[in-house]
Amino acid sequence: MRELRNISRLFAALWRLVRGEDQRGRKVRWLVGQLRPYRGRVALMFVGLALATAAGLAPPYLAGRAIDSGILAGDVAALDLIVVAFVVVSVLYAAATYLQTYMVGWVGTRVLQDLRQRVFVHLQSMSIGFFTRRSPGVLISRMTNDIEALNQLVTSGVVTMFSSTLTLVGVVVIMLALDVQLALVTFLTLPLLAIASIAFRIVSQGAYRATRERIAAITAYLQESLSGVRVVRSFGQEPRHVDEMTELNEQNRAVNMKTVYLNASYFPAVELLAAVATATILLYGGSQAIDGAIQIGVIVAFVGYLNTFFEPIQQLSQLYTTYQQGMAALDKIFDLLDTEADMIDAPEANDPGTLRGEIELDGVWFSYGEGDEPGADSWALRGVDLHVPPGQTLALVGATGAGKSTFAKLVARFYDPQQGRVLVDGHDLRGVQQRALRRQLGIVPQEGFLFSGSVRENIAFGRPEAGEEEIEAAIATVGATQFVAALPQRIETQIGERGVQLSAGQRQLVAFARALLAEPRILILDEATSNVDVRTERTIERGLERLLQGRTAIVIAHRLSTIRRAGKIVVLDGGKIAEQGTHEELIDAGGPYSKLYGAWAESSAA
Amino acid sequence: MRTYRRLTGFLRPYRRQLWGSLAFAWAAMGMTVLIPWLIGRAVNAIESGDKPDLLPLALAIFAAAVLRLGLTVVRRLVAGRVSLAVEFDLRQTFYAHLQRLELGFFDGQQTGQLMSRATVDLGAIRFFLGYGLIFITQNLLTIVLASAVMIVIDPWLALIALAPAPFIVYTASRYNRVSRPAQQEVQQRIAELTAEAEENVSGIRIVKAFAREEYQLHRFSRAVSRVFDQSIYSARLQAFFSPLIGLLPQIGIALVLLIGGRQVIAGNLSLGDFTAFYTYLVILAGPMRMLGVAMGMAQRAIASGNRLFEVLDREPRIESAPGAPALPEGGGRVELRGVSLRYEQLEAAAGDAALADVDLEVEAGRTVALVGPSGSGKTSLVALIARLYDPSAGTVLVDGTDVRSVDLASLRSEVAFVADDSFLFTASVAENIAYANPAATLEEIEAAARRAQADDFIRELPDGYDTRVGERGLTLSGGQRQRVAIARALLADPRILILDDATSSVDATTETAIKAGLREAMAGRTTFIIAHRLSTVSLADEIVVIDDGRIVDRGTHAELMEGCGFYREIAEHGLADSVFLQRDLEQREEMARL
Repeated sequence: MRELRNISRLFAALWRLVRGEDQRGRKVRWLVGQLRPYRGRVALMFVGLALATAAGLAPPYLAGRAIDSGILAGDVAALDLIVVAFVVVSVLYAAATYLQTYMVGWVGTRVLQDLRQRVFVHLQSMSIGFFTRRSPGVLISRMTNDIEALNQLVTSGVVTMFSSTLTLVGVVVIMLALDVQLALVTFLTLPLLAIASIAFRIVSQGAYRATRERIAAITAYLQESLSGVRVVRSFGQEPRHVDEMTELNEQNRAVNMKTVYLNASYFPAVELLAAVATATILLYGGSQAIDGAIQIGVIVAFVGYLNTFFEPIQQLSQLYTTYQQGMAALDKIFDLLDTEADMIDAPEANDPGTLRGEIELDGVWFSYGEGDEPGADSWALRGVDLHVPPGQTLALVGATGAGKSTFAKLVARFYDPQQGRVLVDGHDLRGVQQRALRRQLGIVPQEGFLFSGSVRENIAFGRPEAGEEEIEAAIATVGATQFVAALPQRIETQIGERGVQLSAGQRQLVAFARALLAEPRILILDEATSNVDVRTERTIERGLERLLQGRTAIVIAHRLSTIRRAGKIVVLDGGKIAEQGTHEELIDAGGPYSKLYGAWAESSAA
Repeated sequence: MRTYRRLTGFLRPYRRQLWGSLAFAWAAMGMTVLIPWLIGRAVNAIESGDKPDLLPLALAIFAAAVLRLGLTVVRRLVAGRVSLAVEFDLRQTFYAHLQRLELGFFDGQQTGQLMSRATVDLGAIRFFLGYGLIFITQNLLTIVLASAVMIVIDPWLALIALAPAPFIVYTASRYNRVSRPAQQEVQQRIAELTAEAEENVSGIRIVKAFAREEYQLHRFSRAVSRVFDQSIYSARLQAFFSPLIGLLPQIGIALVLLIGGRQVIAGNLSLGDFTAFYTYLVILAGPMRMLGVAMGMAQRAIASGNRLFEVLDREPRIESAPGAPALPEGGGRVELRGVSLRYEQLEAAAGDAALADVDLEVEAGRTVALVGPSGSGKTSLVALIARLYDPSAGTVLVDGTDVRSVDLASLRSEVAFVADDSFLFTASVAENIAYANPAATLEEIEAAARRAQADDFIRELPDGYDTRVGERGLTLSGGQRQRVAIARALLADPRILILDDATSSVDATTETAIKAGLREAMAGRTTFIIAHRLSTVSLADEIVVIDDGRIVDRGTHAELMEGCGFYREIAEHGLADSVFLQRDLEQREEMARL
């Protein structure tokens, strides 16, 4: 009886929602509240739904009336009238269906569009720390899959719920009104239909999931064979891949065969039930009619209603799954929307105006762990004091995990330190408007992260109002003119996934130009470790030199040329400053840096 | 029509089942058409007050329904099996053909395009071949049979009643044809939206750092609106077509009620026949719609078929000649004679030759480093040795034999590559290392891993050698992937080993250790090294300097420093100046801890 149980569960859940006994009540009410701007259309949608359902119920009844009041009574005028009514109802049905289908589509899509934007805006208000804690796949899925699941609930769920219930109730009422006894006899087929549907639904849910999994496996395997085609060819392993594909293909066939068995037993069985019901109506209703208890038209109407009677039951039984999935998605979306943005500007935060670019770290302790009392091991920075005068290039040197990138992130105020202060031009960053600070900040990440779009859009990312000459100048300054000119559509060339793939070196240059155009007072640069060829290497070196000119820069340095040129080198070790000074000073001091340099010089001379 | 005939060719192995399934479908449809006729008889019996006739008629309906049940079950089972078999064959044919095509084909193809052939197009074809054809004949037969019965009862009424039928079929097929692409476009735009969201999440630091949240929102909104517009278009199509398809059959029914009803009153038509007419029209609405849908399906299947055959008709250009002998025994001597290479499919490189008139001899067992700027032709040169491409001019010889004359598998099993991107398959580490030789023992796998300095980190993985890596497994760092790829190449035990920037992501200290393993592994093989680091180049007996697809110079490091200005420039500025201070420190730290 799972079929009926599901339906009853659904109504029970809805009742809890209405009574507000469920945490979900708040969420659903909120979701319904999202419909408010589109009240008019929602009203139209329900009008359409009600009209279409009602109009859909009329034709079998009218056909029955045509036989009884028109044909059997020999009344041509009545027949004409009924046929006119029949046509009117059919046209009304079509018009109402149009209205309903369009409005449901419109409202559903629109509300989810709004919701998508909301999730996006909310995400963007979150701090960087939030993004490090959550997996990107999950966040993306909130804006895509979960919204789609909700879409299913809002559109097909609401429509099925409303129209199937209405149809079912309508058919039952009409049948009972036409003839109580015949109606009750017809309802006898109900339990049989329910049992057949239960068995089918239970078994097929698993079977269909299996087919989706198998086909996903095939797609993934194919994708991999295509991206790894070079390896496959060079090792000559084609036959093996064909064998593996055969196996996957075979599994796919096996799980699909199961659904063939299921469909082959369920659908013909439903057809049989309908025929049994028809025979029953004819037999029982027929003898009633011969006895004069009912009219023939009623029998014809009953036969006509059988189809409208079977469908809603089958549809309603599927609804619980849609409801569950939609609600799960709503929970997840709410979980995100309920997470309040951290690191919002304090109300008294000020705009420091144009910065000189003086940076100071004052007894800074920082840990990525949550809470106020991180364990002793988890400190990423341990009491760092440092002063960087305006215009100086600071090179950070140290092992992975020594605290270099943490240092840089605190200056950009991606995080706040647990203890101590980070000051820019003497202002504690916690009292500065974040946007005011970041507008004067340039960042060049190690992998040279670029967005899909044209080269121009990427370079103008930080300052979209920049003029043509400024963009050209930035490209020229970092030394990217030559490679940009060689691109198929020059500066308008689309890059990224759907465009031209740039090499690591080229990405670097574009990221340089992007940072340069933003005219930052403070530049944070994570130098690339990857090998590039000699020509690009020298272009990058020169571009970097120009980029660093005239501004304060914090460079997580990997190249000797950069380190040598820095105004100050800070060697970090275990979250502390091990030593600092210029290249010459540190060589003379004979500390860890000089040992390192010595070891390197030796190995490269060999 | 040609495509259609070729598509139905996939059904040929299942001819017998197909005809069987059709026969069952037709018989079942016969029952479907019989039932309304029986209903009509029953109504006549009711009207004439003939009670004893009712039971046999009801039983006849029941019997027809049971018979139909049996026929339909068998029909569905047979047709389902055929459909799945066709799907299996199609996918197998397509995949096996892809595996026969040479690398050059894939250079000119977008992966997404090929994927859509294998999923969307293949799906459309198998649906049409598996179900569509049966739908068409089955529904067509239902319509023909029902029409025949109606015509026998009353030809004029039948003609009037069936007047809307062609419009229903046409409208349904048109709807199917326009709505599918519209829905696929919705999916496409959702994929774009996902990409947009993905980019924003992974680039959030840049967005925040440049304070460009609003611009990103604007971009996202644009993607959202694109989904919205297309969804609305799709909803409008549905809103327009589905009521229309519902309305048309009602017109036929109304005509029957109006005209048939008058005839019954006039005594020209029995009430039972009238009821049969009515019931036929009610049950025919479905088959007429389905016929239209199936015809829409057919049109899409033919379009998909054309796209699929485009790939299937593309003959592989690099294949072993029939009966080609295996690569003869040898030590791995490589010779290039006047070799030029021009990639046909790459637009960007269409103008320039990747290699121009290259002559190169490398004696068996020697190690040669190829040095030059990116795009100079180093990777192209080594690709020719395994015959991943055929040169546009000249000859490539391995152990004195033209690579085009030998069996491809025997050649490639003697050449092993380690490339800079080190692609790994979604499989265990052990399976990845044993890629070239699945029969390798665990000892052999571990030995290869040790030589590649990969054994230590593999043991620390969650499941050691059984840890699943690759796109859908654990993500290894670039350096770790490269070491697994080196182990994979070493286990292949090739005559010729090619290291294409193979240690670019490995830190300096690990590289020193790998070098020791490599030196040992290189003994007795011919090795080509492409590298940007002087330390790696130092493994070579000889260095070949390449620029613009030509060999500029060759010699030892000392000779070239002396005589080749271009090499000196590269060596002094390009190769030496990346110092990996932070990594050396890391290493020191680790040592201090030990």
